[in-house]
Amino acid sequence: MPDFISLSKTTHHDAERWTGRVLRIGVWVSAGLMTAGLLTAAIDSSTIIAFSSNPTLNNVVMQMFSGSFDPVTLMFAGLVFLMFTPILRVITAIYGFSRERNWHFVVVSSVVFILLAGEIMYSLFLKG
Amino acid sequence: MSIFSFILLLAGGFVAGTFGALLGLGGGVLLIPFLILVLHIPMHQAIATSIIAVIATSSAGAAMNLERRIVHMRLGMLLEIATVTGAILGGITANYLSASLLVKLFSGLLFLVALIMIWRIHRYSGLETVLTDGILPGTFTDDASGTSVTYTVKNVPATMLVSLIAGNVSGLLGVGGGIFKVPAMNILSGIPMKAATATSNFMIGVTAAASAFIYFAHGHLHPIIASTAALGVLAGSMTGVRIGRKIRSNFLTWIFAFVLLGISLQLYLR
Repeated sequence: MPDFISLSKTTHHDAERWTGRVLRIGVWVSAGLMTAGLLTAAIDSSTIIAFSSNPTLNNVVMQMFSGSFDPVTLMFAGLVFLMFTPILRVITAIYGFSRERNWHFVVVSSVVFILLAGEIMYSLFLKG
Repeated sequence: MSIFSFILLLAGGFVAGTFGALLGLGGGVLLIPFLILVLHIPMHQAIATSIIAVIATSSAGAAMNLERRIVHMRLGMLLEIATVTGAILGGITANYLSASLLVKLFSGLLFLVALIMIWRIHRYSGLETVLTDGILPGTFTDDASGTSVTYTVKNVPATMLVSLIAGNVSGLLGVGGGIFKVPAMNILSGIPMKAATATSNFMIGVTAAASAFIYFAHGHLHPIIASTAALGVLAGSMTGVRIGRKIRSNFLTWIFAFVLLGISLQLYLR
């Protein structure tokens, strides 16, 4: 068994507290964006009727930064934010473990992060 | 989408989230059949929608469990290496498989889930034995008894293998995969059920995110369907967690196990 697995540390409260906070904020922000998108779609359905295919990740981010908050963009922003929440939870875990100087689990969490980053890169490649 | 379909989807998501939380399922197991049998949504789109719902319920539940310090985060992160790898491979594979084949596979999965649910009723009717001679020690306070439970972990490689399969099923069919991971953590690694369930709940969101971007890139994510279902499931799972503290019924598990068997048959014959 590798040495890092047999660590006896039981104090991992920093990682837990930070990760819990990020999750709670992430869920509420994304739920808020999705609700706002659905409400604005109920008022103005023209963009929904025009909707034919998914935008790219870049499009969603660019639309948000350009201040375009049509219903579809708001909903996709909420969905993308939600999809990023678990990745943020891995980043905060890395931060929390590093504060505890638990370097073995900094490495473990970093491997998970690299795998997720690889998946996003693959998805961007798919979309062209 | 008509206003009737919108309300139906919101209500369906709410019911799937509530019973998912009550039965210890992610919600996807109940949401996907609802999407394809009631709303006639294509299978790939139903999987993508379910993955979003799994992320939402996992994030909300994990935030609460982390604050209560029930999640074994170090073990969760270690197992994530396996589940994320499995989920990425599952997500890539699913987009090369036909919808009809995925429906048949999902039907088989529901059959298996129903059998595991029935088996768990018998398995967990007694008291648990906590191991203290393993690795990665963890501690949590049991709300029911008010006592502090200290435990350790054994057989990590075996649980990692099950996690790899659970991750693959998650990416392929849009479920959380907790139904496989929780018994594996409990039986193979000797973790108390409460800690195993909370750790699995923490993990399934990360696992689901591992295939979510692939489905998004393939264009299977419809903004209204995914947003409505996610909000419904989120509200439902929060309600389910509250009700679950008062209701603990094996009878409910029996009923749903048979409901899942029926849905499994219906999907297979579709």
